[in-house]
Order: sequence, then structure tokens, then C-alpha cells
Amino acid sequence: MPTRQIVVFLALVLILFVAILELARRRVLRVEYSWLWIASCLTTVLFILRYDLLVKLTDFVGGVVPTSVLFFLCILYLALLCLHYSIRISALTHQVKDLAQEVALLRLGLENADTAPLDAPGPRLE
Amino acid sequence: MRSELLITLPALNEANNLSEVLGALRVSWPEAVLLVVDDASTDATAAVARSHGALVATLPFRLGYGGGVQAGIKYGLRHGFPIVVTFDADGQHDPLDIGPLVEAVRGGADLAIGSRVLASESYRGGFARQWGRSLFAGLARGLTGLRITDPTSGLKALGPRGQALFALSRFPDRYPDADALVLARRARLTITERPARMRPSRNRRSMHGGLGAVAYVFNMLFSLFVATTGRDLHRKE
Ligand SMILES: Nc1nc2c(ncn2[C@@H]2O[C@H](COP(=O)(O)OP(=O)(O)OP(=O)(O)O)[C@@H](O)[C@H]2O)c(=O)[nH]1
Ligand SMILES: [Mg+2]
Repeated sequence: MPTRQIVVFLALVLILFVAILELARRRVLRVEYSWLWIASCLTTVLFILRYDLLVKLTDFVGGVVPTSVLFFLCILYLALLCLHYSIRISALTHQVKDLAQEVALLRLGLENADTAPLDAPGPRLE
Repeated sequence: MRSELLITLPALNEANNLSEVLGALRVSWPEAVLLVVDDASTDATAAVARSHGALVATLPFRLGYGGGVQAGIKYGLRHGFPIVVTFDADGQHDPLDIGPLVEAVRGGADLAIGSRVLASESYRGGFARQWGRSLFAGLARGLTGLRITDPTSGLKALGPRGQALFALSRFPDRYPDADALVLARRARLTITERPARMRPSRNRRSMHGGLGAVAYVFNMLFSLFVATTGRDLHRKE
């Protein structure tokens, strides 16, 4: 790879890396997500500095053009990342639903704590 | 006196219908506790319900039909009601049809469904719906061996075991359909059906229709697959 390219890409990765650290420090990004991004950065750096590794990998998987293999891996990686997010969102959807129901029921319990109708079973303290 | 019957009504913007519905329920079921689950309605649903002496649980944002029904069932479960009935707030159900369902639960059923099909052979509700209903009823029958004609009915009575199943976090929370039956069967609940009339819809907006119907069929087919082959709902992550 021409030196110019190496410098440009290393600079980009560095910016991304610093941004991730900063986001984690500000606690905008949770730690368990930041390691994922840091690992992505390091992999990119590895392939920038050691292009020959990418060529070896291409040979290994029977690819022809190293760049195609790289793109393919990137797309695969992003697809897996999306799948991971879908799983998280599914879990969050259940949690949010349960919380919303809990809020509605707790509110109902509070409203009726003093003015419970005679035939209504009052909220039970658990 | 402690009531044994909770009637819960999922309601989205039903201020215009609730007076009549709650009034009729009061007359037929004077001893029942009425709970309106207001799904973040933008009209006076909650106020109208309160003015008729119903309990009101207002969700902080819209969860949709299944989430609303589930909130009501959770209330019933927590307060130890032996029977929880789910009832549409739009006036399409007949309070008198609750009787046979309650009897069925008293007689040992965990889940009793008010079937529009049993009530009238001519029940339609649109070609697509009819088609969808027979498809899923047929599939449910194949998968569970139960002759349930109307799994989507909003009129149901649940005993404690039925309530416990429907209250699980991962219970299907869109529209309970054939998948709910499959899960109920897998949980070894006793399921039965009683006829229930359905008044024609005066509705401006219906839950299923249009392109949504196509998505619904795909969702339901997949949901059935998951319900049949999936992990136990009780299992923790
Ligand atoms: N919680 C909640 N309830 C809903 C929602 N949409 C409808 N409902 C309630 O569910 C019940 C049935 O809703 P409908 O829209 O009438 O559904 P349907 O009876 O299958 O369809 P129609 O034939 O058009 O009446 C009513 O009590 C509605 O208020 C929703 O998004 N959230
Ligand atoms: Mg209706």
C-alpha cells in the first residue's frame, strides 16, 4: 500500500478510536459496546499495516481479489452487528412493555389506595 | 364482599362507546370489578370510565391490543381473581355471553373463548378475515388437536393458570391468535369454547386490514412456528 494511503487510513482509524474512548468516558456508550468498536479499529489497523495478511486470508478462503474479500468481510460483520442489535431491541421491547404495564398498574394502585371501591380488592402489599 | 370476577376492557379512544358498554356490564354483572386499560388514549376514555365507577389503568404510551389485554390480566393475577374476562370496549360484545364462559372456568377450564363462529354460522367480517380465521383455526387444530373455531376472539375468560400464561413477559403481545392456543396447549391448559355473538362493527378504524393483513398472515405463520417449536416461555435468558 502506498504510504499516503496508510497515513490517511491510520489517521481516520485514530479519529474513530479517540471518538469511541471519549464516548465511553462520557458514558454515552456502554463499556460492553465500546470493546466491540475498539476491536473493529484494531482489526482495521492490522490490515492497513499488514496488507500481506489480507492477501494470505484471500488465498485461504479461495478469493481472487483481496479488496473483494475485505468488502465481503465488512458486509458480513455489519450484518452480524445488525442481528445483534435486533436481538437487543427485541429484549428491550419486552422490558419496555413490562415496565409500561407496571407503571399503569402501580398508578392504579396509588389512585385507589385511599378511595378503593367497596367491592374492589385493594392493592395488596407484597 | 370480595369479587371473584374481573372484567378487563382494552380501550383505545373509546370514550364514545364506553358509557354504553360499562353501563350494560354493570347491569348484567353488578358484582364484577370492571377495569379499563386505557392505551394512552387521546380522548376522554379514562374520564368516562371513571365516571362509570370502573377502575382505570392508563398506560404511559401505546402498547397495542395485546399489551393492553395483558396489563389487565396481570392485574387480575396479582389480586387473586379466580376469573378474568377480557371484553372489547367498543360495544361489539354482549355482556350476557360472559355467563357461559365464567361457568366454563368455574367448571375447570383454564381458558374459555367466546366464539363468533359457534354463535352464528354466517359470521363473516370480510372475506380476508374469514379466510385468515379459517386458515389459522385450521392450523391451530392441526397443531393442537383442538377444535377451536375462533382463536382471535377478544372475548375470553381465564382461570388462574390461564392468567399466569397470558401474563408471561414473552407471551405473544400483538394479537393473541392461534399461537396463543398452541402455547396454552403446550402449557397443558384446559381450553374450551362457548358461543358469543358479535355485533357488527360501527368502526371507523379496524385493527386488521389492508396491507397489514398480508404482514399479519406472515407474522402469524412465523409466530405459530415459534410457538410450536420454540423454547419454553418460562425459561430465563
Ligand atoms: N389497548 C389497546 N386496545 C385497542 C387497540 N386497538 C383497539 N383496541 C381495543 O380492542 C378492542 C377491539 O378493537 P377493534 O378495533 O374494535 O377490533 P375488532 O373488534 O377486531 O375489529 P372491528 O371489527 O373493526 O371492530 C376495543 O376495545 C378497542 O378499544 C390498541 O391499539 N390498544
Ligand atoms: Mg371491534
